Amino acid sequence: MATAEASVAEVRGQPVVRRSSLIRVIEAVIGASIFLVLLQILLNFSLLDSEFWRRYGGSFETGIGTTLRFVAIILPLSAVLGFFLGWLRISRFRTLSWPVAVYVDFFRGIPPIVIVIYASIFGAALLQVRFTGRDLAWNVAAVALALHSAAYQSEIFRAGFQSVPRGQIEAAQALGMRPTQAMYNVVLPQALRLSLPPLGNEFAVVIKDTSLLASIGALDLFGVSQDFIQAVFLQPGASVYWLLTMWTAVALVYFAMTTAVTQVLLFLERKFHVRGLEGVSV
Amino acid sequence: MRSLEDLRRQRARTFDTIAAVVLTVGIVGLLLEVLVGRYGLNWTYIASAWPTYLRGAWVTFYVTTVSYIVGMGIGFIIGWARAARVSVRKPGAQGAAVFGVKYTLRRMGDGYVAAIRGTPLFVQIVFVSSVLVIRFSSLDPNQLALIAGLVALTANTGGYQSEIFRAGIQTVHTGQVEAARAIGFSRWKAMRHVILPQALRLVIPPLTNEYIGLLKASSLLLVIGIVELTEIGRREAFFQGKPFESFAIVTGLYLLITVPVSKIVEYIERRLRVPGLGIQQAPTTRV
Amino acid sequence: MIRVEDVHKYFGSLHVLRGISLDVSKGEALVIIGPSGSGKSTLLRCINLLVEPDAGRVFIDGVHVNRHDINREWVRQQVGMVFQSFNLFTHLTALENVMLGPIRVKGMSREQSEDKAKQLLARVGLAAKAKAYPAELSGGQQQRVAIARALAMDPKAMLFDEPTSALDPEYIREVLDVMTALARDGMTMIVVTHEMGFASNVARRIVFMDGGVILEEGHPQEIFEHPKQERTRAFVSKILR
Repeated sequence: MATAEASVAEVRGQPVVRRSSLIRVIEAVIGASIFLVLLQILLNFSLLDSEFWRRYGGSFETGIGTTLRFVAIILPLSAVLGFFLGWLRISRFRTLSWPVAVYVDFFRGIPPIVIVIYASIFGAALLQVRFTGRDLAWNVAAVALALHSAAYQSEIFRAGFQSVPRGQIEAAQALGMRPTQAMYNVVLPQALRLSLPPLGNEFAVVIKDTSLLASIGALDLFGVSQDFIQAVFLQPGASVYWLLTMWTAVALVYFAMTTAVTQVLLFLERKFHVRGLEGVSV
Repeated sequence: MRSLEDLRRQRARTFDTIAAVVLTVGIVGLLLEVLVGRYGLNWTYIASAWPTYLRGAWVTFYVTTVSYIVGMGIGFIIGWARAARVSVRKPGAQGAAVFGVKYTLRRMGDGYVAAIRGTPLFVQIVFVSSVLVIRFSSLDPNQLALIAGLVALTANTGGYQSEIFRAGIQTVHTGQVEAARAIGFSRWKAMRHVILPQALRLVIPPLTNEYIGLLKASSLLLVIGIVELTEIGRREAFFQGKPFESFAIVTGLYLLITVPVSKIVEYIERRLRVPGLGIQQAPTTRV
Repeated sequence: MIRVEDVHKYFGSLHVLRGISLDVSKGEALVIIGPSGSGKSTLLRCINLLVEPDAGRVFIDGVHVNRHDINREWVRQQVGMVFQSFNLFTHLTALENVMLGPIRVKGMSREQSEDKAKQLLARVGLAAKAKAYPAELSGGQQQRVAIARALAMDPKAMLFDEPTSALDPEYIREVLDVMTALARDGMTMIVVTHEMGFASNVARRIVFMDGGVILEEGHPQEIFEHPKQERTRAFVSKILR
């Protein structure tokens, strides 16, 4: 039994034994594999049912592609908008900060699926003059989801901005920097670094939220899977256990995507980390 | 003695506030005008249909509350299990700790939470539903959907609440167990009289936020046919042809609950804020 | 070099500065002492316009600076400031902290700025710590970097706002040494401090402020040994041990 390579790190004054990340990844993979095997035994299904994959495989790929496309639309849009809104939110001009506050309260106060459903209704109706097609409704809803995530991201960026100690802004002014210069050279580098961890979490949520688009018929990973359920009970030779296989596979894909995103942002955070710049997120 | 500078600043401030109000009201009004103005809101419909919506709201409330309470039990137990830290005794002892029972349980808890947070609630709901359909195919479909929904929501909130409890317990834990034991408390007594009372106070804001999050998340139960508020709104919009009215009512009802409660929580948090205390940003149920 | 004429400042209804007048000649090191809340910090910030005076005039090198049409950034380049809480930019190394001002504000080239920064860090005794981040430096070292950062702008005068009050005792000496050397080299400076030893060595004049007014002014010996005002006497006896 090898002794785990561990480094003792101070986390808020609390000594924690941190296993090296390689060990943790191996642990996770082994644990997940054991879990999946147990699950299949317990619920009597197989993840590797070749007949199932023969029929479902194509939809699976298409679905993943569509999901990724939606993610590619929503993430950049929401990040840019969220950053901009977060900046406005801390303005000393109420004319700028109050409307943003109302926007944030609205979008955070209603369920995202409500936004998706009604955006598809209204969006399609309002824009029908210039565009047509089922895709329109889905893309409008995707943009609406971006607006929704932007509300959450604006709060993240706002917290980032406010975490930069006021004294440093004063020092920048005392050196003769204009407000824009102080923002760009002092506030932004620190605020962005501090925002990275919670941002990773929010990006993971965006990935999960794309599944909501299925409720208006979009053919993302969740949507194609739901469509396939019809097929399960109509076609001969279909086993009801395919449901379990399918949803487990779908869950794994989403899990992989969210993990990938959070790991990328953690990596970025570590790469740009500067000692003394600590965030306050859990 | 006030200078001109001061007066000018005051006047600018008032102008700023007025402009802010005008701008906010103006934008909201413009949006309403665009959405509704052309057709106007059918008040007769609203007057007659609101009991239907209320029934949906009741389902939302019922489902959320039941799942929340059961989930709290699960979340507390798992959170507590995960909060215990690996004590730094001797470096050699770590090898032995790797496959211990407590450790395994803790890692299982970690896995559970990771699964909940890493997959969409939609998938969790239909997965549970599938399992029930297969195992208990004799059940009435409506009952089955309700049970599946409750189980899925409970599992979901249990995962997020365990994070909240874990963070709360860990935040307080630093050095306090040692201090308490130095006075003469046993481990259990220290937990009961020192850690838990403080942790409880820390977790109330994020737990309240979690309830709001769960309330919004319950809207996803429509995917297995549960007729909660959003589903009512969807049906009225599509089958009764009343999109604007249904949007107004559904949105209004959700905002009516979520906004005031969030504001109260924000207020409480601001009053109790301690810099560097991470618990205040504990993740809550998002879809 | 720096002249303050009958300056008033209100924060809301609080009358913080009640008609302060002061004259600091070129090359002079002036020390301001006084209880907390007496307006000392506010006065300093009125000079480099981090705070706008409500009444009165401020002159730097003969130029009336608290006007509406003044270029604030230019004013702040004339006068450097060192803060009680150092306020170093945490995301930059010591060298980069010192270089930032000349590059961004004065438009100096990177090489020139780097050379200058290295010289200044050597001057404050921290040449070896050029690549260190503020979190890796002790309080005294951080404050010395802050002084180098302010000097990098080639100011005509320096303002020190309780530069050693946030330091652990063992680090106070190194910062005061740098400041003393600066004064000996002829830098015009206004220092708000409680360090009486430093004041006696370096200052020609000490000003005692209380409740927003200057109560007494004089040589260090006069203020410390024969204070004329009752409140001066009370304050001095509290800080002299």
